[in-house]
Amino acid sequence: MKRKTDLFPYTLLTPALSATVLIIFFPIVQTAIMSLFNYVIWKPKDTRFIGLGNYLRALTDEVFWISLKNTLYWIAGVILLQLLLGFTTAMLLNREFKWRGLARSLILIPWVTPSVITALMWRWMYDGNNGVINDLLVRIGLLNSYFPWLANSTTALPAIMVALMWQGFPFFAIMILAGLQAIPGTLYEAAEVDGASKLQMFTHITLPMLTPILFTSILLRIIWVANSMDVIFVMTGGGPGYATYTLPVFAFIRAYKGLDFGYASTIAIFLTLLLIAIVAGYVIRVLRSQEALR
Amino acid sequence: MKRASILVLLLLLPLALFAAGQGEEKMASIRFWYHFDNPDAAVTPLVQKFEKENPSIKVSPEFIAWDVYNQKLLTSIAAGNPPDVSQIKLWWQPQLVEMGALLDLSDYLAKWPGRTDVFDKIWDLTEYTDGNQYLMPLQMVILYMYYRTDMFNELGLKPATTRAEFLDLAKKLTRDTNGDGTPDVYGFGIRGARGGHDWWGTFVLSSGAEFFLPGGGSGLTTTEAIAANQWFIDLYRVHQVSPPTTPNDGFQQIIANMQSGKTAMTIHHIGSSKGLAEALGDKLSAAPVPKGTKKYWTSFGDEENGVLAASQYPDAAFKWASFLATAENNAIWQKSSGQVSINKSNATGGGDRFLKATTDSADFAGVLPAHPGTAEFVESLWPTQMQRAFLGEIGSREMMQSFADHFAK
Repeated sequence: MKRKTDLFPYTLLTPALSATVLIIFFPIVQTAIMSLFNYVIWKPKDTRFIGLGNYLRALTDEVFWISLKNTLYWIAGVILLQLLLGFTTAMLLNREFKWRGLARSLILIPWVTPSVITALMWRWMYDGNNGVINDLLVRIGLLNSYFPWLANSTTALPAIMVALMWQGFPFFAIMILAGLQAIPGTLYEAAEVDGASKLQMFTHITLPMLTPILFTSILLRIIWVANSMDVIFVMTGGGPGYATYTLPVFAFIRAYKGLDFGYASTIAIFLTLLLIAIVAGYVIRVLRSQEALR
Repeated sequence: MKRASILVLLLLLPLALFAAGQGEEKMASIRFWYHFDNPDAAVTPLVQKFEKENPSIKVSPEFIAWDVYNQKLLTSIAAGNPPDVSQIKLWWQPQLVEMGALLDLSDYLAKWPGRTDVFDKIWDLTEYTDGNQYLMPLQMVILYMYYRTDMFNELGLKPATTRAEFLDLAKKLTRDTNGDGTPDVYGFGIRGARGGHDWWGTFVLSSGAEFFLPGGGSGLTTTEAIAANQWFIDLYRVHQVSPPTTPNDGFQQIIANMQSGKTAMTIHHIGSSKGLAEALGDKLSAAPVPKGTKKYWTSFGDEENGVLAASQYPDAAFKWASFLATAENNAIWQKSSGQVSINKSNATGGGDRFLKATTDSADFAGVLPAHPGTAEFVESLWPTQMQRAFLGEIGSREMMQSFADHFAK
């Protein structure tokens, strides 16, 4: 009887686990195997096992290091921008004001807009010849003439980061808003009685109470942002030069433009290792919090 | 008796199988992959006409977006599920032949009566280096120079015939017309993104650069070739005769810039003439590209049909490919594609200014080398290195060396 009870949760998990193994785990294993081969799709006769050859090639490849650096910059920049905007939005939406319900619904628009639409929209807004952003900046006197935001190696990646900030901030806003609403009002009342300032209430009540939700949201978002390449690819295709190459973009270009699936798989494995390190941090954190609850 | 019956059955079995095979042949169903610049254009009328003439063959056309066409074709071949007939660019041919993916059509073509009605130059350009003919011609375009007649007339200019004249024109046409201190009209729209190798080739391959020297080795790293490439880079970096957005400008941008008056000249083919002429009318005309320091060079933009070696119905597949290459049907195809027929009997002799620029450029139109590395050169290497050179991250020598290294592999 006891044995039957033990198996029950696993039985329930079986469909989800089977799907995960088939759809995620199997392709990952296949990618890992492919990364050990010289596998260029148009050279089927040259396909052979080369061990860690692709990995050594990546470590000496200038483009790989540029892509890795851009990936870290991309993750840090996008997450920070989304978090700041999401936090501010959540604080505003937590206040009482007319049409608050409507405002809460409207901020979801960027989140539900398909990535390709977002990318095309922002690409035309940034357009160096007819873009509305240039037009506004020239009108208010911040620019003398139109600037090619996406054709300049210094501004291309930050410009795309702003587009992704717009697309992703509602996630943070909604998560943080939910966290804010879960903070008991009595805590603020008690602090007010004790003479705490607004800033003290924020740093000693709001922030600590939001920490678990912030931590989880940031970790989840890091994984999504690190993997996202659709917006970059549509807006610049990785260019100009290698200015907007991140690891997923680099892997995609090697696979589908160079048809070098072996090397592309290696780059994908490096990205996976980077994300596994981040997820490991997340899992450890969850396990510790569960320990603390026991 | 029983033994005799079995013997009769055994004798009849091959006949039955043959008959079944014949039945299968009668039901030949072929998949055809194609792309048009204009996705609204349809091949349905041609398919209906073909199926009426060939009731034993069913054609299933599938439109594939141009941006992913090559990758979808190659991955479908690798996955063992390619179409029977596919539109193919000449510079994909080496990789497809290397994969053993294309059926050699030489024997079919030897018996095909329509062969003599296709321009001889097209057969010359499409024949592979091993002497076999894997591709059935479908359409052609030749790139030429579009220019804004209103701007030329305003400044009293005429189309350039040499590289030096062209630079002079481009400088004169780059102007600050609204008096804000910075140019708002540029002389020449350069496509710096994927596909821009045709702009580059016009000036670099005509001025001493060659992919391979006749005696062996790369002709991309000679002093002359590096200087020609530097001249092209300088159009953007030094003379600033193309818009600041040049490194990322693709097809949409260069056409939009011509329409809006942002640029006064650009290079493209007759496929974009309809849209441009609708927007600009008489303000637009066309002329052959200028001569480089050595010769004229412009890109022969080809499109062929290949029969995939994996096809179960190669005869039916060839029949469809050859149907599209016959004069009457090819003319219908070109109405949808907006490009030029491959048939001698469709040549009108006259035509509009765009067709004239095309035919005037026919003698010096060239193609990229029949090398397995050409596809990657076009798809990713050229745009990346060109953009880096435009942004000053690498010099002309480094750029050309990277191309030479690529083709030396």
